[in-house]
Amino acid sequence: MISVEQYLALSAVMFVIGVVGVLVRRNAIIVFMSIELMLNSVNLTLVAFSAYLGDVTGQMLVFFVMTVAAAEAAVGLAIIIALYRIRQTVNIDDINILKW
Amino acid sequence: MDLYAIIFYLFAVITLGSATIVVFSKNVVYSAFALLFALFGVAGLYVLLMADFLAITQLLVYVGGILVLVLFGVMLTTKVFDVQMKTKTIQMVPAVAILGLLSGTIVGVFWSTDWYISENPIDVAKTAPQIGNMLLTTYLLPFEIASVVLLVALIGAAMIARRERKG
Amino acid sequence: MENNYLADLWNSSPIVCVVLTGLVLLLVESVRRGSGRLSYAVSLVGLASAGVLIVAVGDVAQPAFNNMIVQGPYAQFFTVIFLVTGILTILLSRGYLDRQGIHRSEYYLLVVFAISGMMLLAYAMDLIVVFLGIELMSICLYILAGFMRTRGTSMEAALKYFLLGAFATGFLLYGIALIYGSTGTTNLEQIAKSFAEHSASPMFLVGVSFLLVAFAFKVAAVPFHMWAPDVYEGAPTMVTAFMSTGVKAAGFAAFVAVFMRSFQYAGSPVNDVLAAIAAASMIIGNVTALAQVNLKRMLAYSSVAHAGYILVGLAAGNADGFMGILFYLVAYVVVNVGAFGILSLVEDSNGQKLSYDDYAGFSAQRPFLAALMSIFMFSLAGIPPFAGFFGKYYVFLAAVKADMIWLAVLGVLTSLVSVYYYLRLVILMYFREGSGDVAVRPTWAAMLSIGFAAYLVIQFGIFPSIVVDAALKVF
Repeated sequence: MISVEQYLALSAVMFVIGVVGVLVRRNAIIVFMSIELMLNSVNLTLVAFSAYLGDVTGQMLVFFVMTVAAAEAAVGLAIIIALYRIRQTVNIDDINILKW
Repeated sequence: MDLYAIIFYLFAVITLGSATIVVFSKNVVYSAFALLFALFGVAGLYVLLMADFLAITQLLVYVGGILVLVLFGVMLTTKVFDVQMKTKTIQMVPAVAILGLLSGTIVGVFWSTDWYISENPIDVAKTAPQIGNMLLTTYLLPFEIASVVLLVALIGAAMIARRERKG
Repeated sequence: MENNYLADLWNSSPIVCVVLTGLVLLLVESVRRGSGRLSYAVSLVGLASAGVLIVAVGDVAQPAFNNMIVQGPYAQFFTVIFLVTGILTILLSRGYLDRQGIHRSEYYLLVVFAISGMMLLAYAMDLIVVFLGIELMSICLYILAGFMRTRGTSMEAALKYFLLGAFATGFLLYGIALIYGSTGTTNLEQIAKSFAEHSASPMFLVGVSFLLVAFAFKVAAVPFHMWAPDVYEGAPTMVTAFMSTGVKAAGFAAFVAVFMRSFQYAGSPVNDVLAAIAAASMIIGNVTALAQVNLKRMLAYSSVAHAGYILVGLAAGNADGFMGILFYLVAYVVVNVGAFGILSLVEDSNGQKLSYDDYAGFSAQRPFLAALMSIFMFSLAGIPPFAGFFGKYYVFLAAVKADMIWLAVLGVLTSLVSVYYYLRLVILMYFREGSGDVAVRPTWAAMLSIGFAAYLVIQFGIFPSIVVDAALKVF
């Protein structure tokens, strides 16, 4: 049997991979995908806790995370596309975005 | 090593391997497809953790919904973001340092904690009814808020992505 | 488990009222397309009726919806802040949106839904509600930041805010997951109970520190403040006003509620970390603000510094500290709405006229507005007899009582630094000759709300007991 620590370690590593992606990548869509990885690792953590605590609440929380992830995906990609539209028509050279 | 462990390690390798490709790939399209496998691997792990209903939802919402949105995003914007990508390099050294340090700390804490492990595992046959029941009783309010969040996202996304009415 | 959902609905009626207002606005938009004026009126009426309901519900603490939220003086206090901020923002926005050519009814809808999210944060008794409230508020603000769809800076602000906001959400959720794992619950009351039984595990502390990161991001505290200047500068000015007031207050509502209700048992390591964040925010916020040319950026760094001052109260962790936080927030919110309101009046339709130099000789052209702006700047700098002075006084006093004298001293020193950049604006307005091409066409509603904000700043500065009494009832 796999212990809870192994699941947690797996999701922790996945979370950190996502964090690294956000910190080092400069492409908006890849940053966004890294954030999705972070949210997925949170979900995995919750499900693992839920299984080992014998409590369905953890699975319940995952639904809310998924809902919000979907909402964020819609809004985020809408923003990226709207920004692209301005860039395309205005000026491609002054991309000074994402230097934080 | 029993079958359960073999399947766990298989899905773990798929998930982490694809996650690494998502983050470090130079091509956005590869990243998007690697994300597909990462999400799929997570769904497999859900099944191992007796979350059958969630595994299906994961496939429907993430793979069927969010990933398709991401792919649309990639296809609609490649030109601009390609320009940007060539000028930037990935700083591998700090990235690996952060990765090692942070995950080492968290995993270390996991191993030093004594976990309470329940004697009564979840009844797989009942997860969906239980979740449904909780959504409409204990978690009624969060359920309603979630619906408002989705409504706002819908309005906002439509407003911001549509073209200007005039010119 | 039997539930009286009618009683629950009544207890949460202010939130329900605000959400319903949002839905009515949606209907208005679909029936009479592009009718900004009608939406403006509906949103004001809706927020005002929520204000009536919050008084009618009373201030007896009552849990609702299976202890997901709790109605009580704490929720009431913050709800009043959010509603007043919302109403002032909407009054000021209409003229601004008209001048910028972006007067569309969706604006009001998003502001109203954002307020409902903020209110949930003040009511929250469960980490899930905290999470959903933050998301509801943030998603509205991502879109509002990009409300000027044709202006590149506005969309860039939206993208930056979105990506960093979603990043912070990841930390928030991981923190919640770890706390759930180590206590088996997400309810703040039960988390506190589980401490009474056994002490905090290292795992739990990791969870708390992840939550800390997320909250520090939402209130723009160092080192998670990098988004603030760019987003504040790029977003439409009235949205910036709403962000620096409503969102900051809501962030602190959740921050204080979570830390007060359950984590204070986690002990001193958390308080030391809070003190360090507070100190760093005060130093970096104030010092960087010195170098700014653009007033929106200056106010952004000043808001980082003010987050630091408020965190001093939280780090102190005593009753005085919590009272100080509430007073500080009231003073800060009122002042910032007013100051950004004046900026939005002076800004021209290309988003220019926002630098210090544009205000040279402002008092000769607009003596009344210049006087009000000076009041706001004095209050931000913490000069008596304005409200900002007492805010600082109370949080520093709390720090001294909690044996954090170094923090109070640092607070006073950085306040002295801040006097320079706030008063620089006042000096420019009164003692420099201007080019005289600042065209200000304020609406009556805008003048009224800026005047009202200034009135409150003076009122609370001379009679701080009004707010103090209300804040003392909370704890």
